[in-house]
Amino acid sequence: MPKTIHEIRDAIHVFVRLDNHEREVLNSRPFQRLRHIHQLALTYLVYPGATHKRFEHSLGVMELAGRVFDVVTDNATDEIRSLLPELNNPDERGYWRRALRMAALCHDVGHLPFSHAAEKQLLPNGWDHERLTRAIISSDAMKAIWERITPPLRHEDIVRLAVGPKKAGDLTFSDWETILSEIIVGDAFGVDRMDYLLRDSHHAGVAYGKFDHYRLVDTLRILPTAPSGESGGSKEAALGVEEGGIQSAEALMLARYFMYSQVYFHAVRRIYDLHLMDFLREWLADGNFSTDVGQHLRCTDNEVTGALLDAAFDSNKAGHVHARRIVQREHFKVLYERNPDDVKINPEAGAAVFSALGTQFGREHFRHDRYHQSTGPPDFPVRLRDGKIVSSLAVSETLNHVPVVSVDYVFADRSIISKASEWLGAHRAEVVKPKGEADNG
Amino acid sequence: MDRLRRAAVLTRLIEELRRNGSWCGETHVQKATLFLQDLMHVPLEFEFILYKHGPFSFDLRSELTSMRADELVKLEPQRGYGPRIDTTDRIKYIQGLYSKTLDKYDDSISFIARKLGVKGVAELERLATAFYVTANLAVDHSIEERATRLTAVKPHIEREEAIAAMREIDQIIANSKH
Repeated sequence: MPKTIHEIRDAIHVFVRLDNHEREVLNSRPFQRLRHIHQLALTYLVYPGATHKRFEHSLGVMELAGRVFDVVTDNATDEIRSLLPELNNPDERGYWRRALRMAALCHDVGHLPFSHAAEKQLLPNGWDHERLTRAIISSDAMKAIWERITPPLRHEDIVRLAVGPKKAGDLTFSDWETILSEIIVGDAFGVDRMDYLLRDSHHAGVAYGKFDHYRLVDTLRILPTAPSGESGGSKEAALGVEEGGIQSAEALMLARYFMYSQVYFHAVRRIYDLHLMDFLREWLADGNFSTDVGQHLRCTDNEVTGALLDAAFDSNKAGHVHARRIVQREHFKVLYERNPDDVKINPEAGAAVFSALGTQFGREHFRHDRYHQSTGPPDFPVRLRDGKIVSSLAVSETLNHVPVVSVDYVFADRSIISKASEWLGAHRAEVVKPKGEADNG
Repeated sequence: MDRLRRAAVLTRLIEELRRNGSWCGETHVQKATLFLQDLMHVPLEFEFILYKHGPFSFDLRSELTSMRADELVKLEPQRGYGPRIDTTDRIKYIQGLYSKTLDKYDDSISFIARKLGVKGVAELERLATAFYVTANLAVDHSIEERATRLTAVKPHIEREEAIAAMREIDQIIANSKH
């Protein structure tokens, strides 16, 4: 008898299991392309083991999404079932489980070569990888797959769950769809994050990203929102945890903090991203990646790496200077970074320093990199052992005190860094001082 | 609006909400900012979509996180409830740099803080969703029609509550014009 379930060995989840329809997606061109997109862009130049790809990450996200769906739907209370009628119909539940796993599988198909590197600067206005993901899921080739399934999957449903409300503000989400999309891309318990922390940590060779995801997944529940303020809360349902899972949720947030501060925001990793962006702007026709799905599917890290190696050793090739900085490891070095004294005076001190140095020595010698985490401590409902629902931030000291990672680097060309550093030392106070509206109008 | 100017306005709003009795958790700040921007036309440039407890801005969440990293605001954990947001001493310096901007928007900020300061999350959810529904319908609709739309997007809100929210929002919109 032919197999209907297929197993794939995985470094994090041991086995990832797929059915025939999921395997059809796996065999599709958009998904196979992910074998050639590094999960962490050029991070392997700093952490040599970090050569893993979006392909295995996407399989891991599907595996975790299925597990979370089963746990939260099996453990829904009558109160939650009355708010979310989809839980009461087995056929509907089966439909959404399949849609969720497909969305998880496809959530990254729109990534550009080298993943996040300079996405905003390298796509036309209004485009990002999520919009490309939407276009691919809704393409004729993928729609043919969704329609062969019984019952057929609506591509709009897969889009909603794959990108979530944050990146699909033009679509309307029901409460049920919001919760399902949170299973994949949510700030608190999104399995996208769970998988990338575990996987990036494993491949980079650092322990920071590990946490007890088995315990966390087992304790996830759909719960009513916890009261916020003494006048009570909303009845809206949200993803939360049983009291016994709070420590594993804390560990997830600490893992995120450490991975951001140690790996994702590592200064040398960041400057390689900027050099890559500069290279791509010169190498790409019109300085942008194409938003045409066919063109997108033809371009992977392999084509870009080939061009980088070619340009690094040929001064006539577009992007030669930037390619050389990457390939020959002549990257810019940190001249200025965020520090508490300057932040006290001007939270945007890096921009002021970058601007002043550019005026003094020429802008081409410097690069500025400003980024901060976009979410703080997650406020999710926790069900205590006595059945009471409270906010995670009311029961966890740890969650309240996880720092926000924020970087503000100015990098300088090695040929000028000493001189620039000396000048900045002499002029720092006046450079950092914010202008305000007295000077700006 | 540049980031520091916006921080000056947001922190003034937080101060006024608290002065008017608000719990001032994230939801309170989210909904008050929606009204300040879309009802009072203060150009904060946040994008709101229907999400948690009605209209919600991921950009604003990101801005509040960034302001926390810069120690312009802080979280005050509360036993049994979600945390309250408060400003820090550091904000006086930033507000001082943008005193002309604050003078320009102080009346709008005070109006919103007076109207919303005493309201809890459930009331704010109803009111902000009522405002969002009203503002996003192409033509004028009756209170009943808009209440039907509100309960369609937030099914856990009762119809009577939706109708009451629509009445109140019409009143707030009318008052904002005086």
